Amino acid sequence: MELFDLFSYALGIRALIASVLVGLMCGVLGCFIVLRNMSLMGDALAHAVLPGVVIGFIIAGAAVASAIFMGAVVAGLLSAIFITWLQHNARTKNDAAIGIVFSAMFALGVIGISNVSRNSAHLDLDHFLFGNVLGLSDTDLYLTAGITIYVLLSVALFYRYLFATTFQPVVAETMGIPVSSIHYYLMLLLSFAVVASLQAVGVILVVAMLITPASTALLLSKRLNIVIIISGIIGIISALTGLVISDIYNTPPGPTMVVVATLIYLAAVFFAPQKGLFFKFLYKRKTRRRIQFEDTLKQTLKLHERGNLSFPNLQERLGFNNSTLRQYLSLLSQKGLVNSGKNQLVITEEGIKQATRLVRAHRLWETYMVEEMSMDAGQIHEEAERYEHVLTDDILDELEARLGYPQLDPHGAPIPQNEYQPDNSLSSLPINSTAEIAQQQLNEHLITRLWQLGLGPEEVFVITQSEDNFIEIKMGRELVKVPRTLANKINVVRVGSEAET
Amino acid sequence: MIPAISIKGLSVSYDRKTVLANVYMDMEPGQLYGVLGPNGAGKSTLFKAILGLIPSNAGQVLINGEPVDEQRKKMVYIPQKGEIDWQFPATVMDVVLMGRYPFKGIFQRLNKKDKDIAMQALEDMGIANLKNRQIGELSGGQQQRVFIARALCQQADIFLLDEPFVGVDITTEKKIIDILKELGNQGKTILVIHHDLSKVRDYFNKIILLNQWVVAYGDTELTFTEENINRAYRGQLSILHKTALD
Repeated sequence: MELFDLFSYALGIRALIASVLVGLMCGVLGCFIVLRNMSLMGDALAHAVLPGVVIGFIIAGAAVASAIFMGAVVAGLLSAIFITWLQHNARTKNDAAIGIVFSAMFALGVIGISNVSRNSAHLDLDHFLFGNVLGLSDTDLYLTAGITIYVLLSVALFYRYLFATTFQPVVAETMGIPVSSIHYYLMLLLSFAVVASLQAVGVILVVAMLITPASTALLLSKRLNIVIIISGIIGIISALTGLVISDIYNTPPGPTMVVVATLIYLAAVFFAPQKGLFFKFLYKRKTRRRIQFEDTLKQTLKLHERGNLSFPNLQERLGFNNSTLRQYLSLLSQKGLVNSGKNQLVITEEGIKQATRLVRAHRLWETYMVEEMSMDAGQIHEEAERYEHVLTDDILDELEARLGYPQLDPHGAPIPQNEYQPDNSLSSLPINSTAEIAQQQLNEHLITRLWQLGLGPEEVFVITQSEDNFIEIKMGRELVKVPRTLANKINVVRVGSEAET
Repeated sequence: MIPAISIKGLSVSYDRKTVLANVYMDMEPGQLYGVLGPNGAGKSTLFKAILGLIPSNAGQVLINGEPVDEQRKKMVYIPQKGEIDWQFPATVMDVVLMGRYPFKGIFQRLNKKDKDIAMQALEDMGIANLKNRQIGELSGGQQQRVFIARALCQQADIFLLDEPFVGVDITTEKKIIDILKELGNQGKTILVIHHDLSKVRDYFNKIILLNQWVVAYGDTELTFTEENINRAYRGQLSILHKTALD
């Protein structure tokens, strides 16, 4: 059948609309199924509705779609309740309980169908297994539309409850959210979705329409509401594209939709921003480039300080080839960090500032490795070469506070200092003077360091001793030794100067 | 004064194994309680019983003098960090706004006021700049701050924290203890399951020593004695812990 023919038939149009609805509904609902680790449950419900379909058919006949629908939903829900009961009350593993119940229900359904089929040809097992989207009646379509609207409205209305119970069920319960009612309501919606999808994709492949678009969307966004929208759209695209391709190449529609959904998923695995493998590769490359860029800047500063900054000297230090180095230098000049022309190479003030930050990171990390990790000074340079590119300002502030604002690194080189000077530093006070720790301090890291030493804001102390490398203070009955470099950064308020000791 | 939490003859068992036996305790408002005891002492079970999450074999828990079900929204629970799926598609703001859910009927949407309260809580915890981050992108300390911020949004009277300082940096630990002390000053009741005995005296003004029953509870100064601790830990106390007592 040609594409043009497909759309010219009422059946084709019904198929088209039903596919869009099923893709959307399964995509939306699937997000919760995936996030609750219930993929297997989705598959189970799809299989478990079969006996309900048969019973509905026996009671009312094929013409009454609502009877088949009711039978299917009841069978699905009973299975969900029974599975949950087994998981809580029998000593059976969760996934085993699901497997036992759904295969048993499916077996009953298959036996039922083969018995019914002997008497009439209306119930075709193949249609339930793989779908029969081109055989939809108007009633089927209305039912699918009604179910889709109901499911979407439910998700919108109960979104907060679904979010909370999916993310942290125990906390949701303490908030007064009826966690198990929400679970069963979701099972009800899932049964609805499964039944509505049977005609389009069939029992065996419904689970793909539930979990594949949702898993794709989870790779593409970090917010649940956005994930749901993306998943719905991918569901629609998969169903529509699958239907059209199946018409052109004369393949079965349901399986074709699933293959399309899977291809989109694979594309996302490789090309999703941030989480995709391709972008991880790009990110690695970008990081390597940033490191080389920063190395160029740092070496430029070092040569500048020695007064022999030139292209060949820089090239020798970095070991880059001509064109690579030119590339980085032109990047540096674009950012205003160096001025490089045909015969000149000068580092700018901003360039010095940024390069100094790298030197500070390098030397602080070296100091940390020696002082706090007891590493040998001879083996730390390589490590610091790597870490200087990744340490954030916040971590540098913490390192500095933890080390007590050191002046020299383990090799004796000066550590570029944080230029902050308190209004009134602890180290500026004469011996025997009384003061208190000021409310205002450099940053949270310094406050924490003080707290670890037992020094809180507005606590009064007396200076008892002042040596080259520490200052001793007396607070209540306790004596605390504060390293002088740390004391330089501590902001204090003078209370008096009378000698108390 | 009506106790914030009153436990009368509570017993809980799982699969015929007794976890808590015959617990009687009254907890006063405005106090910061450290809940201490060896592994398997029933600390988490005590929390779950107070929160009404598990059935008890015997006994009763009253919150502000009323049954748990009527006072559920007065309590906030901060579970251990290990129990959370960090890959979950939720931003910091999404999680903190959860703290406003108990105030909303099914047809009510979160409004500007809720967002302002959430924003204020984020600022109080010093993580306002992270509000659009996915929770898995945060450090351990930042993650714990998010959950404390959410707890603040719930505007509850009783706070139950299960090992809030595990896997958290020292700056965050200080921040959390400062906030808890301030909440205590505002008359809130705070229970913290805690393992590091060295900081007990600094952090808590009351302690509860558990080992399937209440070994001792009361003012830290009077109750946190070597004798009581040995009785609670029954020889399971390591040398490391013992030095902390000196």
